[in-house]
Amino acid sequence: MEIKAKLKQVLIDELNLEDLTPEEIDDDAPLFGEGLGLDSLDAVELVVVVQKHFGVEIKDMEEGRPALQSINSLTAYIKEKQQA
Amino acid sequence: MRMAIQGIGISGGFGQGVSALQDALQQGAVTPQAVTVERSSGVDNFPAYRSDIEGLYEFFPKRALRRIDHFSKMTLHSACLALQDAGLLESDRSRTGVVIASGYGAMKTTFDFLDSYLDFGYSCSSPTHFSNSVHNAAAAHVSMQLKATAPSLTVTQFEMSVPSALLTAQLWLAEGRVDQVLFGAVDEYCEVLRYCRKQFFGAGEAGPVAPLDFDRQSAVVGEGAAFFVLSRATEQAAAYACIESVTLGNHAAWPLTLPEDDRLIIGADGHKTCADWYRQTLSGRRVAAYAPLYGSFPAAAGFDLAVAALSLRDGNFYQEALLGTEAPKTTTATPLASGEQLSCLKFGPGGDYGLIRLAR
Amino acid sequence: MSRGVAVTGLGCLSGAGMNLAECLDSMFRNQRYPHPPVRFSTDHPVSYPVLELRDEFQLPLDDQETIYTRTSQLALVAALEALADAGWDAESLRGKRVGVCIGTTVGCALNCDDFYRTYKSGANPKLQVIERFLRSNPAAVIARQLQLNGPTQVVVNACSSGTDAIGIGASWLRAGACDIVIAGGADELSRVTYAGFSSLMITATEPCKPFDVNRKGLNLGEGAGLVILENEASVAGKALRGRVIGYGSACDAHHLTAPHPDGLGLKRALAEALTMAEVTPEQIAFVNAHGTGTPDNDRIESRVLHEVLPGVPFISTKGYTGHTLGAAGGIEAVFTLACMARGEIPANIGFADPDPALPSTPVTVNTSLKADYALSESLAFGGNNAVLIFEKGDH
Repeated sequence: MEIKAKLKQVLIDELNLEDLTPEEIDDDAPLFGEGLGLDSLDAVELVVVVQKHFGVEIKDMEEGRPALQSINSLTAYIKEKQQA
Repeated sequence: MRMAIQGIGISGGFGQGVSALQDALQQGAVTPQAVTVERSSGVDNFPAYRSDIEGLYEFFPKRALRRIDHFSKMTLHSACLALQDAGLLESDRSRTGVVIASGYGAMKTTFDFLDSYLDFGYSCSSPTHFSNSVHNAAAAHVSMQLKATAPSLTVTQFEMSVPSALLTAQLWLAEGRVDQVLFGAVDEYCEVLRYCRKQFFGAGEAGPVAPLDFDRQSAVVGEGAAFFVLSRATEQAAAYACIESVTLGNHAAWPLTLPEDDRLIIGADGHKTCADWYRQTLSGRRVAAYAPLYGSFPAAAGFDLAVAALSLRDGNFYQEALLGTEAPKTTTATPLASGEQLSCLKFGPGGDYGLIRLAR
Repeated sequence: MSRGVAVTGLGCLSGAGMNLAECLDSMFRNQRYPHPPVRFSTDHPVSYPVLELRDEFQLPLDDQETIYTRTSQLALVAALEALADAGWDAESLRGKRVGVCIGTTVGCALNCDDFYRTYKSGANPKLQVIERFLRSNPAAVIARQLQLNGPTQVVVNACSSGTDAIGIGASWLRAGACDIVIAGGADELSRVTYAGFSSLMITATEPCKPFDVNRKGLNLGEGAGLVILENEASVAGKALRGRVIGYGSACDAHHLTAPHPDGLGLKRALAEALTMAEVTPEQIAFVNAHGTGTPDNDRIESRVLHEVLPGVPFISTKGYTGHTLGAAGGIEAVFTLACMARGEIPANIGFADPDPALPSTPVTVNTSLKADYALSESLAFGGNNAVLIFEKGDH
């Protein structure tokens, strides 16, 4: 599966966003606050999700913050790390 | 200081709400669910009193509950039912304290957290499961979802959790720290708990529960949540009953004195290890035990308290038996005289006891 | 009408020392001993320093860890030290109503990962670890070992548990529910909390730096801190360790793991404690802050302290002990009372460079005290906030 599609699906599964479908998640909308409405606890859970499903490690939040902006930014981060 | 019980919310193997409990009391016993656990070592079939939480979605949208585990869902559901019962669902809760008693806490979630690192390595430890496995997570969810900003307390003291926590709730009201307490007793079933109980008690976990047969192990595991809206009895007449006093101690260190005339609701639940204490202290007393309605779990002491409150409101004592006789017989319902008091007595395995005395 | 509840004995052990005297000694020498965990290992790629009890620490009871959990034994060690300090022995407690109120987190969690691993594999693990758990409720262990008669309560309000336990114990005494209360907190270091806190990304890879601009998180620790509380009427003529004169607590009702951005619950808890104690901010000699060294906690705390108690010196002692979770409030209450008796507080170790976002900073050198009251505060998971105010004692 394409990284982006897989990412949306694991987000829904792992963060229990069952009221959403992958199509309803906007690729550029902010993940946190307004937008998808995630919070600081979701942020650290996302770090685990990315490690578990994509084998990509985010060491700390300074590194993670730019990646965790939107589906697009996180997809790009995962792609870059997987190719490195 | 007397506490008035203004509302009750309850959920267990008998169903949800006060009327379901009332029906169960009339019947005298509830059939537990048949549960099957399949492991590579074999299939385990056993009875359990499980609690359903579907009713919670009437109070909150699914999205608001997405991170809340089964333990906290049971908690939140009964808390809402209690507020609804008291007519306080829409009230301001800036002076409502939250006090929760649990013998084991969110055990299932603790194992979910262990799963996250045992299955995927320590770097995949789930922060969400970890946060929900902390004992006060349920109280935190109640405070957040119901905007209760007053003091919050979670107590865990195995069998003594309910009387112990109730003692502190009483003092908070007496000291004027809060105007109301949302007091809850919660425990949950999980597979590992079943495994432990089976290893400990074998066929003694198959029921049917015979709580007054003190020589026989006859328990059935249960779960659920019982909540109460408590206020100072001086300010408001009680919708159900008043809690007069809460006493804790150890009968082995210093003998327990029981109120002479009270009929007693006892926490005997088919566990032989605790039964001896009831036998020693209750010969010739009129008692009732309700484990056949909701099973055996530490927070069931809160369910006993709900039954006491309901009995006093209705003026009926259910399933009474006279102890000290051969095979005590139970009577479905006998009237409570005006002014008659009830006591709830719970023993732990080491002779530690909690005694809660109530009046209409 | 007596003022508050008397404190007649103190006991504590932590990564800073095996008893109160040792802890004070290392803190006033400004020494700390963080190192990678010795008692357990993980496959985690990063190692986080912790503050464990020194290797030579021996659990007091026979059969070591098979009888009671380490947490309960730590509680028992601190209880015995505090009782001896107060001049009580088990015999003289007979016939009295003695309450035990203990805060913990690990002490009540079924963190049996080896047992569970075996269970998951399909095998049938032995139940010793479960039996030990069922014997090990920390308050029940103290009551059982000393054959006490009275209420027992384990407070599991996460990181404010120890502070809440002392506030609740004082309330039991004022209400006449007990003659004596043994109160405080205890927690052991566990692989499970180590994994949990690292998953929350709030543990530092270096010794923690409370209130510093470069703070990167907390260090976990372990230990116990307990006080003996008695009614003023029954301690006439006895040299006191101090008094509990104020307690306040409130819930943020905001988030499971993050503090309220304006510290609402903390402010309410402070206001309640100050009202009960009938003291003004000027009478407070110092604040023993929660000061975990996480970016969020220290920012909120510094702002609230600046607003509510402007100019009052404060420290975090977590640089010396690590964050001992349910024990923290107990250990810090003991330190607060002992520092008042000594007339000085140690430097806030780990703090070097101020954070421009924090309006107030902790003391950086050992500092002598100029007033007779002190405050200890805890902020916890679930938005719990708890505050105790103490009056200086005789020793």
